[in-house]
Amino acid sequence: MTAPSNPTLRLQYRQLYQNSLRYSLLGTCLTHRPALWNQVRKSHTAITADPVPLRKQLKDEARRKKAEKKASPKSSKTLDPRLSRWELTVGLEIHAELNTACKLFSPAATSLNAEPNSHVALFDAAFPGTQPQFQKATLIPALRAALAFGCEVQRKSSWDRKHYFYQDQPNGYQITQYYEPFARGGTLTLTQLDGIETSDCPEVTVGIKQIQLEQDTAKTILQPPSTYLLDFNRVGTPLIEIITLPQIHSPTTASACVRKIQSLLRAVDACVVGMEMGGLRCDVNVSVRERGTTAEGLSEYAGVKGLGTRTEIKNLSSFKAVENAILAERDRQIAVLESGGEIEGETRGWTIGQTETVRLRGKEGEVDYRYMPDPDLGPLIIGQDLVDHLKDTLPMLPDETAERVVNEYGISAKDARTLISLDDGDRLEYTEAVVETVMQRLASLPEKQSFDKVGKVVADWVLHELGGLLTTAGVPWETQTVTPERLADIIVHLQTNQITGNTAKKLLAHYASLQPVAEAAIPSVSKIIDTSGLRLVPLTEGEYIEMAQKVMAENPDMVKAVREKGQKGKIMWFVGQMMRRGEEGRVEAEKARSYVERLLEV
Amino acid sequence: MLSPQPATRQHCSRSLNPLQPQRVRNLLHNLFKDHLHGPLFGKLIAIKDNISTGPSTPSLATTAASNTLRKHASPFAATVVRLLEENGALIAGKTNCDEFGMGSHSLNSAHGPVKNAYVRGGHALSAGGSSGGSAVAVATRQCWAALGTDTGGSVRLPAAYCGIVGFKPSYGLLSRWGLLDYANSMDTVGVLSRDVPDARSLFRILNRFDEEDPTSLPPSVRARLSSANAGEESDKSVGNARSLRIGVPTDYCLEELSSPVHRAWIRTLNRLQDEGHQLVPVNLPSTKQALSAYYVLAPAEASSNLAKYDGVRYGSRLQDSPSHQEAEADKSGKGVLFSRYRGEGFGDEVKRRILLGAFALSAAAMDNYFIQAQKIRRLVQADFDRVFASPNPLHTASSLSPPKPDLAEKIADEASSPHSMRSRVDVLITPTAPTLPPTIDDVRQQDPLASYTNDVFTVPASLAGLPSISVPVPLDGVAETTGRPQSRAAYEDGGWGDVRSAGMQVIGQFGDDEIVLRMGEIIEGLQ
Repeated sequence: MTAPSNPTLRLQYRQLYQNSLRYSLLGTCLTHRPALWNQVRKSHTAITADPVPLRKQLKDEARRKKAEKKASPKSSKTLDPRLSRWELTVGLEIHAELNTACKLFSPAATSLNAEPNSHVALFDAAFPGTQPQFQKATLIPALRAALAFGCEVQRKSSWDRKHYFYQDQPNGYQITQYYEPFARGGTLTLTQLDGIETSDCPEVTVGIKQIQLEQDTAKTILQPPSTYLLDFNRVGTPLIEIITLPQIHSPTTASACVRKIQSLLRAVDACVVGMEMGGLRCDVNVSVRERGTTAEGLSEYAGVKGLGTRTEIKNLSSFKAVENAILAERDRQIAVLESGGEIEGETRGWTIGQTETVRLRGKEGEVDYRYMPDPDLGPLIIGQDLVDHLKDTLPMLPDETAERVVNEYGISAKDARTLISLDDGDRLEYTEAVVETVMQRLASLPEKQSFDKVGKVVADWVLHELGGLLTTAGVPWETQTVTPERLADIIVHLQTNQITGNTAKKLLAHYASLQPVAEAAIPSVSKIIDTSGLRLVPLTEGEYIEMAQKVMAENPDMVKAVREKGQKGKIMWFVGQMMRRGEEGRVEAEKARSYVERLLEV
Repeated sequence: MLSPQPATRQHCSRSLNPLQPQRVRNLLHNLFKDHLHGPLFGKLIAIKDNISTGPSTPSLATTAASNTLRKHASPFAATVVRLLEENGALIAGKTNCDEFGMGSHSLNSAHGPVKNAYVRGGHALSAGGSSGGSAVAVATRQCWAALGTDTGGSVRLPAAYCGIVGFKPSYGLLSRWGLLDYANSMDTVGVLSRDVPDARSLFRILNRFDEEDPTSLPPSVRARLSSANAGEESDKSVGNARSLRIGVPTDYCLEELSSPVHRAWIRTLNRLQDEGHQLVPVNLPSTKQALSAYYVLAPAEASSNLAKYDGVRYGSRLQDSPSHQEAEADKSGKGVLFSRYRGEGFGDEVKRRILLGAFALSAAAMDNYFIQAQKIRRLVQADFDRVFASPNPLHTASSLSPPKPDLAEKIADEASSPHSMRSRVDVLITPTAPTLPPTIDDVRQQDPLASYTNDVFTVPASLAGLPSISVPVPLDGVAETTGRPQSRAAYEDGGWGDVRSAGMQVIGQFGDDEIVLRMGEIIEGLQ
């Protein structure tokens, strides 16, 4: 396969390709998952996640929605009378693994499922006498993430050590950016389409306080009963920690916010391993306050005043866990406050399937991390030229992309979102290629064609017809074999009335069922149509008249109603009858109507 | 050339082994390889035990004199060790020291105390610390020279106590890759030798940019330094050198300064003046706080750097406690696995400094200790910048992180004032230590904090990262010929009698290492 012939598209491909080249030069990791339908894509697809979890995620999503409909008494959708008195406030801290080739402070490779302890530099194992070496390339995805949230990249930031003893922390401290993070002050806007709580509609804006770079820890694997195995491959993998302002007031919106952050990070290629694979983890801070109270005597966090005492829930590893943990913690805090108690500032834990958060440690037991500027590492200075360059080449964000395809192709906003969210943008790009080809073909035809609905029609075919076929057959998107040209061919034939809708569906199913073979060996759409006699032959004038007369003869009452009572609405009933009787697809409604009108002399 | 087991008697070197067949083979290999013309060819150099020696010397562990690392064989050699070997040197062995470099008398060692070659009234004297083993090995000619490390005076103090030369270069010139961290922002590899020319030749070989060390000065900064030094270096003949302006810090006349050292200082200054150099009294008012700042900052960094020795990866775990019990206990929040290991693995002084440092960094104490100490460190640096004629090359480079505006203005004001320009100096000369070496018995009876005062003169240069050398000068009334170290045989026969010299310290502006070495050589030449 080559890039699509349309010049606009080709340009787009070249840009993407250049992006990927620049990435490689900077040493940033690109792992590939080429889709069979387009080999060009493999140069810029940066995905490490297995496809299965994505489907799983979608299924989870469907299940979640189902569960919501059932509306258990605890569900956020049900109006709890207590909520008219108490307001929930949530802030998020999201840790996301950056998409980089090497670790933050060593040239060892990052890895997802490599053999344990096979990617460990001396410094990663905290060998005595070793020092960190900051890997500049890790900045690229970090900066893209910061730009995606509209953060202000700080010219100077610095590194601090956060101390605590744990077997997964070989140095006894984590290098992070506690005092001076590299990015501050962004925002994230969520709309109905992002799945926020109804009361938050039409949209809600959440402030991003800061984003900092830091190291990941080792993986601890428990071998029952009491052996702990340590895999240091993950030690030092670069993470970004995204801290939002406490500006979220519903569990559903909180979970939508995490989901949107993940999709944004993917869209700009900053983080490609999702929550389902442990590439994204979330801590939430939760507080409750009585509505209508003044700020006096209440707490302040990150400049947001008048909040109740907050608790922190650590290590939530799914969107569902985020939502349910907040829900449970909100209800717990309200119950405590209503019974006259006080909320303690403490750290709590959440296990999937439970209904309550569990206290992990109280304030007096809080770890003193003894933050200290790292004496080995100088400040991190980020040049404006690099920031500008990344800003200029930042991929379009999902919301912008949705807006663009809605405007350009007339695809509905909902379909656009769905297309964007599927297969990491593969599906959207595919759809665009089909739309472009269809429009081009239609434009080259002698008769003037209407393009109004092309986008919608194509989106329908890609999402529902092709999507349905693949789901039924259990074929993942990236191994499907229908090229954009092929689908465009089918749609053009359908749009120009050369085949019936049924035929089109059968053709698609045929192509979708093919095993990957050499492109030249696959017969073209028109060839199959001709050899199998699928082409639609329009009815002649005589055939139309004959059919119309037959229907009229069988239904004299209806004829009377039109002729004598002037019930012109009944004309369409005759058209409908003709459509039903005629061979599928051969009867054209407009023509049938004109003959009916002529015969009924209206 | 090497005695069988000097460590058993003097504890100066832990593993100065006789030539073993493998090492002879290595030697021959090196001979015919590419080190035939190495400037250090065949020279024996001892390495302080907190500097990693790698696979080329498989018999040498790198223990930092700690039980924690009793069996630690480093898989890689420190960059400085690699450079020595590449230049033909033979690694003589590892030398005893204070555990992780924490100490001023080389007594805090898992391998036992280091003893000075000098004795007073039958009592062994302190060799100084923490590089005491390296100093004794050089003084007793068990090696040609030795590497030590200097965080607050750990090369200069033992050099002064053992009557040899100890040079701490500017921070960032010699690679720290392979050096076991104590306080990284001050840890500096230094050289100990019998005279200044030897120290200089070693320094020049080791003075290389190393990309493995994030604090190694990059080539761009080095270029600036060497151009500043070029004029001095070309002055090969010391005798004909232009006269230097020597700063004499009046704040260093502390009450702790003992009279023999004071007299040696005054006499050295007088003789330098006789030689045509100019003496200028200068003020370094922050000196009095420097020691306190050092003993906040160094332990703070140490508490962080030593966190990795938790028994999970380094050191063998305790024998008597089954690991699963430890793990369970650990899970229940008692932290037994780590705390027991650390409690038994570290010596008292290391534990003391870790606790001090952990406290200084704790949320409640951070502002009053760590932050205040960092401010004092800035003031100490500003003090030095105010008295030196050459500008601090780091300040022009670090426009990115300028000091606080008020401080910057203050510095700028003083720099432009013509009055202060007239009193600016090329080097400072101070005693290295306030007293002559105490006996080991006296040290043991001291309050641990009292021995910290030994570092009062050496710590300021460490806080500012400045080059500094300690050169022995004869004490009053000692014939100059007897001021030099004596024979090794006498050492092994029970010591050389009391010390005959005191250490004089030369401090220069950052990057003025060659000027400092030259001044050291001039002082050496006075005798």
